[in-house]
Amino acid sequence: MRKTGLILLFIIFFALCYLTFVSAEGVFRSDWQAPKTIEDENAQLRLVLITQDAETTFWDNLGKGAIEQAEKEGASLEIWGSYGNNHEDFLKKLEIAIHSKVDGIIVQGLDTEEFKYLSKVKASFYGIPIITVANDVPVEESLRRTYVGSDQYKAGSMIAKQLLYDMGNSGSVLLTYNSNQEYYQKQRLNGIQDVLKNYPNIKTIYSETSSDREQIITATRDVLNKTPEVDGIIAVNANIVGALVQEISKRYQVEPYFIYSFDDGPESLTLLRQGKIDGIIEQSPEMMGKTSVQLIMEWLNGETVPLDLKGYFTDIRILKAKEVQ
Amino acid sequence: MTSIQKKILILTSVILAIMVTIWIALTYYNYKTQNQYNDILQRYISLNEVTSASQQVITDLNNYMLTPSSGNLRQLNLSKDKIQEAKYEIFPLRNEENDFALTNYINLIDSLLETTDRLIMFISGKDMEAAAIEFSEATRISNYIAEMKLTILDTELKTYDRFYRNIIVQSEELIKLGVWLILLITFILLFISYWFSLSITRPVYKLTQAANELSQGKFDIQIKVETNDEISFLAKTFDRMRININNLISEIKQKAQLEHELQQNKLLLQESQFRSLQSQINPHFLFNTLNTLSKKAYLEGSEETSDLLVSVASLLRYNLKRIDRAVTLAEEVAVLRQYMDIQKARFTQRLKFFIEIDESCLDLKIPALTLQPIIENAVIHAVEPKEEGGTIWFRIFNQAEWITLEIEDDGTGMPKEKIEQILNERTVQTEGHSTGIGFSNVIKRLRLFYGYEDVLMIESTEGKGTKVIIKILKKRST
Repeated sequence: MRKTGLILLFIIFFALCYLTFVSAEGVFRSDWQAPKTIEDENAQLRLVLITQDAETTFWDNLGKGAIEQAEKEGASLEIWGSYGNNHEDFLKKLEIAIHSKVDGIIVQGLDTEEFKYLSKVKASFYGIPIITVANDVPVEESLRRTYVGSDQYKAGSMIAKQLLYDMGNSGSVLLTYNSNQEYYQKQRLNGIQDVLKNYPNIKTIYSETSSDREQIITATRDVLNKTPEVDGIIAVNANIVGALVQEISKRYQVEPYFIYSFDDGPESLTLLRQGKIDGIIEQSPEMMGKTSVQLIMEWLNGETVPLDLKGYFTDIRILKAKEVQ
Repeated sequence: MTSIQKKILILTSVILAIMVTIWIALTYYNYKTQNQYNDILQRYISLNEVTSASQQVITDLNNYMLTPSSGNLRQLNLSKDKIQEAKYEIFPLRNEENDFALTNYINLIDSLLETTDRLIMFISGKDMEAAAIEFSEATRISNYIAEMKLTILDTELKTYDRFYRNIIVQSEELIKLGVWLILLITFILLFISYWFSLSITRPVYKLTQAANELSQGKFDIQIKVETNDEISFLAKTFDRMRININNLISEIKQKAQLEHELQQNKLLLQESQFRSLQSQINPHFLFNTLNTLSKKAYLEGSEETSDLLVSVASLLRYNLKRIDRAVTLAEEVAVLRQYMDIQKARFTQRLKFFIEIDESCLDLKIPALTLQPIIENAVIHAVEPKEEGGTIWFRIFNQAEWITLEIEDDGTGMPKEKIEQILNERTVQTEGHSTGIGFSNVIKRLRLFYGYEDVLMIESTEGKGTKVIIKILKKRST
């Protein structure tokens, strides 16, 4: 009896000890570590990558490449982005970056006066180097250090050649583009036009729209109504292609057009996979990110001064729907 | 220090130590948590201060633009200093997570300050148009600062999110810990107190029991308390007291016994004294009376009776005088003759007594009253029972080394066992001895006197007679 009691007491004692210990561990254990404070100032070069089409596949890849490169170079890089072509927000971010005196800005070029003012006046005032990426703005207007991205003229001509190859040497081609004529868009158009003008049997139709989705649909409807004989469509601005395909799908069960575009729009790759468009120009966003960071670091470290003003072109290739499916 | 006091002190200090430990741990924990809270709050306050300071700059800037007075300028400079101060306060807040944003934040402040400086310059240069542009820029930067603050706060919240949750979880755990701790301590203290109190009360209980037994008169149970405190000391003392009492009691008992014996002895002594007095008075009186009777008988012409009375008187005198002395054989023989005269008077013809004495032996020393009891024995056994009477011979021979005394009768004799009994000095029931001295007494005295065992021999044939031989070494007598 006494022995049983003693054993019981011991069991209670150990159970209490264990429970107390466990809960003490819960109270005093802290697996959370405060982030390390940084003692030395300006240890890292601070770079900013600013885009207006954040969270698209194209820009995600570009950002990935850039971050990888930045890590390799030991610089800190942040990606700021605005969504859906919000110019105002985009420009504000650029201005913040300039006022924040970052060491270098890699930015998606925007062919507007405000952008040019910021890059030419403000950034130069603070002595911040700007590299345009993916979309260029001419150096005379922006005072950018260099451009990293696809050769847009070449891209235009490649896509025109692919169209001719698929469609044949005669027919009418609809070129839709943003009314806000940006530099890269102009270059693509130039490329396309320079190929097509050699074929007299090809009729070229132009359709200008704004970036608003409703507008695109209306414009597409208009142009298709006016010229129903269209055989091929090239969306020079990749942002247009989503709304364009949507409108065409409404009209036809099986779309009768050869549709081409570029990969820097939010819907380009999805549509290509679905077979809704026939081909896109695939650029090398990762390469762009990488190269841009590399170049700006070279400039900042004084290794390559000045950078090639014409720009550093990355690979482009045609990606057809058949290859993806 | 005494032991029980020590025990109590130890118990108290253990409890105190536990309490103090817990208190210190909890206080330290509280202090740490408080510090963490303070740090976090300080971070937010510091971050926020910059924004409000920047807004103050803008307000002062606006005032200065509208009325460029020295008072407003002073006010402006004051708020500029303030924002500088706020800037230095957020320097130490940089960590891996917010480095970029925070550096931006700091640089934005610098930009604002630079813009402000330019603005002041333009105003003092009266270039109001440029000033207006700078002012709008300053306003924008101020807004950016506010925005950047939000970004940083957002980052902070994200970074510290797990920490905050941890704090909540920990405070919940703390309550649980408190409950468990109280249970554990209660348990331990109860156990220790029980054990401790037992260590005090158990010996006390033992002591009580022992006292109880003592009070009931059981003095022979040992009191044993195996502790090292005062109770043990008490028990030892108690035990010693018990032993002492025990000893005293047995001593008293012994004394009582002795006293009792003494009392008895006293009584016996008194009685024996009385008896000896009585027996001393009686013979003298008897002796005198006998003498008077003898003279009377002589005067009345009964000479024979007178002689007999004289014999009795002298026998009595001898008997009274010479019990513990050595006498000569001649004296012994004389007494023997007188005794036999008396016996002859009694038995007349029935008793025949023959005596042969070597006169040269009569100087021999011999214990008094040795022969008379043996002769008397012979008369009792050989003459009294037989109607026709008996014959008794008494002889003394002088031999080369020995002097031999023989007493022979022709009585019934005695069995071997009886002889054995007599020689081994075992008291034999003998009846009717006139002197009150038995056979065994004689043997004992002879052996003591002469110092050897075989001083007396008995030869007996049943139906024919008994012969008692006493052999005395001559050397001894010379």
